[in-house]
Amino acid sequence: MATAEVTKKQTQFTMVQAVRSALIDEMKADADVVLLGEDIGARGGVFLATEGLIDMFGKDRVIDTPLAEAGIIGAAVGMALYGLRPVAEIQFIDFLYPGFDMLVSEAAKLRYRSAGQFGVPMVVRSPYGGGVRGGSYHSQSPEAYYVSTPGLKVVVPSNPYDAKGLLIASIRDPDPVVFMEPKKIYRSIKSELPEGAYEVPLGKAAVTREGKHVSVITYGAMVLLALETATAMESDGVQVEVIDLRTLQPYDTETILKSVAKTGHVVTLQEAPRIGGYSGEIAAFIAEHAIEHLEGPIVRVSGWDTPFPYALEKAYMPNVERVRRAIKKTLDF
Amino acid sequence: MEIKPFTDKPIKALEYDGRPAVDIKSLGLSDDDFLKMYRWLVFNRAVDDRGYIMVRQGRAGFYAQTSGQEASQVGSALPLTAKDWLYGDHRSQGSMLIKGLKPSEWFAHVLGRQLDPTQGRLMPHGSGRRDLHIVPPSSTVGNQITEAVGTAMAQKIKKDGGMTICYFGDGATSEGDFHVGMNFAAVYGSPIIFFCQNNQYAISVRLEEQTHTKTIAEKAKAYGMEGYFVDGNDVLAVYAVSKLCADKARNGEPTLIEAYTYRYGPHSSADDDTRYRPKGELEMWRTQRDPVNRMRAFLDGRKLWNQEKEQKLQTEVKEEVAAALHEAEQSPQPDPITVLDYVYERRTPHLDREREELAAELAATATQGAK
Repeated sequence: MATAEVTKKQTQFTMVQAVRSALIDEMKADADVVLLGEDIGARGGVFLATEGLIDMFGKDRVIDTPLAEAGIIGAAVGMALYGLRPVAEIQFIDFLYPGFDMLVSEAAKLRYRSAGQFGVPMVVRSPYGGGVRGGSYHSQSPEAYYVSTPGLKVVVPSNPYDAKGLLIASIRDPDPVVFMEPKKIYRSIKSELPEGAYEVPLGKAAVTREGKHVSVITYGAMVLLALETATAMESDGVQVEVIDLRTLQPYDTETILKSVAKTGHVVTLQEAPRIGGYSGEIAAFIAEHAIEHLEGPIVRVSGWDTPFPYALEKAYMPNVERVRRAIKKTLDF
Repeated sequence: MEIKPFTDKPIKALEYDGRPAVDIKSLGLSDDDFLKMYRWLVFNRAVDDRGYIMVRQGRAGFYAQTSGQEASQVGSALPLTAKDWLYGDHRSQGSMLIKGLKPSEWFAHVLGRQLDPTQGRLMPHGSGRRDLHIVPPSSTVGNQITEAVGTAMAQKIKKDGGMTICYFGDGATSEGDFHVGMNFAAVYGSPIIFFCQNNQYAISVRLEEQTHTKTIAEKAKAYGMEGYFVDGNDVLAVYAVSKLCADKARNGEPTLIEAYTYRYGPHSSADDDTRYRPKGELEMWRTQRDPVNRMRAFLDGRKLWNQEKEQKLQTEVKEEVAAALHEAEQSPQPDPITVLDYVYERRTPHLDREREELAAELAATATQGAK
């Protein structure tokens, strides 16, 4: 069981184990941190992110809820207003929509509408994204909705180390955070994690791989695809720089501008549909602030502008070939 | 006085003409308590009248009158203590005033001035103060219900002895939030009162078009909770039921209270209620069911009141309201540059850049204005 692994000084963690480790550290450090969600108690969450936590912290702090996302988010808002630091788990982010109103009308606006009197220090953790044969309702990447709501922060880790550090930073953050966990890589990669709590600051991107010809700006599970493409294109003599945004709102403009100034070519990469997608913001920002460095069009790689398919998932998901063609398009301009 | 859940007729302590309908001693209230309640009824009516006049005079852009519903708010807010939390809606200003919101702050809210604790960020349908545990409401009907449950869950987890009251109207009971919130509270034994001011109209839609149940109180049954159907224009009955339910809440027993009442004004200053109210209905409620007159008649009957005292009170209240309004009017408009504040605890780099843009825009506008 994972609990035993922690006491045996586990050093290699999958992403879901890293998430669990962050929750344990923060719950030990701060009695106001409580968890709520469906099946997070005895079941330990459908992905086991909260496995064993109800035994460690009791059912006042690991709260199995009735099946109503609007209630989970609404209750979390009310707890946060009171002064707790709730971490709500939504089983799949595709099911957050019943709680959408509470998130965008309440969590996001309460600080503003109370002129700073009330804060809503809550986190909504939820697995997102495709590549797991989850079909239309277990695969979505809805970050654009949340990013375009002032008052919310949106965080997407791409590896276990960042997942733990970003989640701890999100729990400690005084404002509501939508924490999107790429479930495709929940267990496929491991990171070495230091003992104890640490923060990866919100709003700071990472240059995951340096390169001088083109900047691929991405986040979440797509970081791995960007790295894979970068490796594949080495033989073509193309040196790809990979920027992992890590936080989508607020985002790190400095790292983006520095990279664009160096490479002069930009490809954005997301698995969400293209129209109105998050990459549009990145592309517009670069066009507005760094056009003098651009030597080719900013090309967006994304999922298609369709609902997420089941049997045709492979045709939907961005892949090495799609990213390669985009890179070629801007380099050959 | 015996208080039973799920009655067919609203629970009353006073007849419509103010005569006692129950053994008044059993309420455990003193003459001073009665006088205090009456003063609050009169005061809230005066504040509300002033708010409405401000719209008519063009000094305020919007107002949702609460007149007619004073007893529901006074009776339910008086049992609250300082540690209790209040979630209101657009027609619960009377309760907010009792909880401690200053009348000057309320008028500043109506005028959108700096003195408003929400600093003019909300349309004037309800302000709020963190130190008083009054949460400023949004306009999305019903959202406060699940939030209030979350606060009550937190109160129970922290064992702080406090409870939460959540106000909403009859229309809100059709929202999913109502059902989700009631269910959560019942499952967790949350210290909360769900307080429905049933004024019989959701803007124009009458209760019988809103729900197929005879009462709203009986909906509590579906959640394994008690529901109380009370005459919302009878301040003593509302007080007695609310006091009982506040005690139940503190023992981990959530309840639903339906206060059956009537609003005298339109839904808001933007509404025309002559389009949907049957002729004579408003007149009947004003003349035969008025909550202020009913309590006044009760006080008269107990020889606690007379014309002289009434005149003195009216003068006092008028002066108090005028002073509060004056104080609100002295307060400045919020500074335009603060529009970018309070989105997050600290401004993000993006908001800092937008602040620079706005500062430049304001400077340019000021220069053009000076030319």
